[in-house]
Amino acid sequence: MEQIEKTDVIVTEGVTKVYTTDGIPVYALNGIDLTIESGEFTALVGPSGSGKTTLLNIISGLDSPTEGKVWLAGKLLSEMSGNELSDFRRDNIGFVFQAYNLIPVLTVEENVEYIMLLAGILKTERHKRVIAMLEAVGLDGMADRQPTQLSGGQQQRVAIARAMVSEPAIILADEPTANVDSKTGADLLEMMHRLNTETGMTFIFSTHDPMVMESARRLITLRDGQIDSDETKQ
Amino acid sequence: MILKIAIRNTFRQKRRTILTALAMVVGFTLLSVTIGLSDGAYGNIISMFTRNRIGHIQVHREGYLDKPSLYETIDGYTAVGKAIQDVAGVEAWTPRIYAAGLGSVGEKSTAVQIIGVDVARETRATRFDQKIVEGNVLPEAASHEAVIGKNLAKILSAKIGNEIVIFSQGADGSLANDVYKIVGIAESGDDVTDRTACYLHIEDAQELFVLDGRAHEIVVIVSNINHVDKITSAIKAGLNDSTLDVSPWQVVAKSFYRAMKADQQGDAISRWVIMLIVAIGVLNTVLMSVLERTREYGVLKAVGTTPMQIFWLVICEVVIITLGSICVGALLGGLANYLLSIYGITYPEEITFGGMKLKTLYAEVNVRCLIVPAITVMLSATVVGLFPAIKAARIIPARAMRTH
Repeated sequence: MEQIEKTDVIVTEGVTKVYTTDGIPVYALNGIDLTIESGEFTALVGPSGSGKTTLLNIISGLDSPTEGKVWLAGKLLSEMSGNELSDFRRDNIGFVFQAYNLIPVLTVEENVEYIMLLAGILKTERHKRVIAMLEAVGLDGMADRQPTQLSGGQQQRVAIARAMVSEPAIILADEPTANVDSKTGADLLEMMHRLNTETGMTFIFSTHDPMVMESARRLITLRDGQIDSDETKQ
Repeated sequence: MILKIAIRNTFRQKRRTILTALAMVVGFTLLSVTIGLSDGAYGNIISMFTRNRIGHIQVHREGYLDKPSLYETIDGYTAVGKAIQDVAGVEAWTPRIYAAGLGSVGEKSTAVQIIGVDVARETRATRFDQKIVEGNVLPEAASHEAVIGKNLAKILSAKIGNEIVIFSQGADGSLANDVYKIVGIAESGDDVTDRTACYLHIEDAQELFVLDGRAHEIVVIVSNINHVDKITSAIKAGLNDSTLDVSPWQVVAKSFYRAMKADQQGDAISRWVIMLIVAIGVLNTVLMSVLERTREYGVLKAVGTTPMQIFWLVICEVVIITLGSICVGALLGGLANYLLSIYGITYPEEITFGGMKLKTLYAEVNVRCLIVPAITVMLSATVVGLFPAIKAARIIPARAMRTH
């Protein structure tokens, strides 16, 4: 699968997601039209239930919209098969989840290495990148540890390393600082900011964290599944 | 990496892995013992039936088996026997004469089947001497003596030392009658035979029925019963006589063979029942495992693992547990069959199958006892693993990661 060029964008058109609870439709997203250019450092904000995580899931192909279309690098996600979507995510999108979601049976090194292995990158290259990435996130010397032997902040660093090691064009981070203390949160944010500046990766966060909002160059506020405001800082 | 994750997942939930493996091990062992005992029983019955009675292969005049007749004889049977003995794999051969007649002891009479045997050959081939339960075996030279079946002795109230008068018809149409001294009582293990059999030395029988140098049947014993078909073909080729029928025991005792096959099919049903129970157990635990790890599969998929890789991950876990279970099951099943092949299971009462009496059931240790359960357990575990594997592969990541 071809990687997204740095100039490509994420485009959503009329994205709607409806969940039905006891026969009553609930609109998690309602007609979202959005364009994100590569290299952006964007935060999706809004109260709980406003649709931030749902939007992240839909633009990454982890979930499908009830209505509307999503293009990633000019490719319409709804036209991709399950395997194509998996390959596309593997090659172009890195995920950082609120709950870290590391693979518990793999060591730190193996967790970070996993995506590169799926992508067929050679062992020597994988090892080199893992070591460099663990150093970048401040986890050098912890490669052989199991996720359960790490603190929450360290696990989130591993998750960030995993998301970025294959140098994807887009990093989607769902509340990345929610489960870590403010000092760790600040460190992680600084690290992501630096990577964005240095590599030009596109970062999209969903967050409640004022620190993340302050750091973001673009703030998209969601309310009741719709875009309430969209501000770009100068 | 998928294999590595599968191996580690297998040891992650030890209790569940042990439970799954236990279902497979128990199923394997039960199946192995069932096959061992079944093969042992059938092997024992076939061995008794062939080795002690009908032999492994029989040679007759063409059409004799379908329509036995006093006149359908093998002429010059000694030469035929020698040709048979030259075939590789033949252990022994023995000629027989069969004729129906009336037997009388004192004032009691009944229908008898006169069986003329070459005592020395019959002893080597079908252990004739071991059938004598009272008195002595016939002497190796003709001596106008008879051995009668145990039940025939009861019917005729005959005792050792009594004389039995045989009335019949000779091959030349003459009246065949003579008196023989009863020297032994035999038990063949077949009620019908024991009710009618009157064994004479073959030369006495030839004299009585005017069948000099002729026999109705040549019984052949082979060193390995599994090579019967091959040896039958070799004997046919060696004799090269279209007037002779060479038949393996399965043809000679068609109804017995069919009954055995039908009984074995009944065993196959019980095997399927065992495997169904195992499959349900495996399905339950594997499905539970997949449901518990829904979130994990969601994450794997989110980071780029394809549905096919998730599918193989689940199948790999099932196969790893199955391979381990097969190893343990093979050890247990093999050991159980080995012990049962030595000590056996003694029935509270004798059972009869196809006229053969069995007191103890012995298992047979053979490759089938391991191969059939291994294939069955592997197939059933993999087949029942398909459903959870497909379920895991079709997980929607966003939904899966919302589960706890």
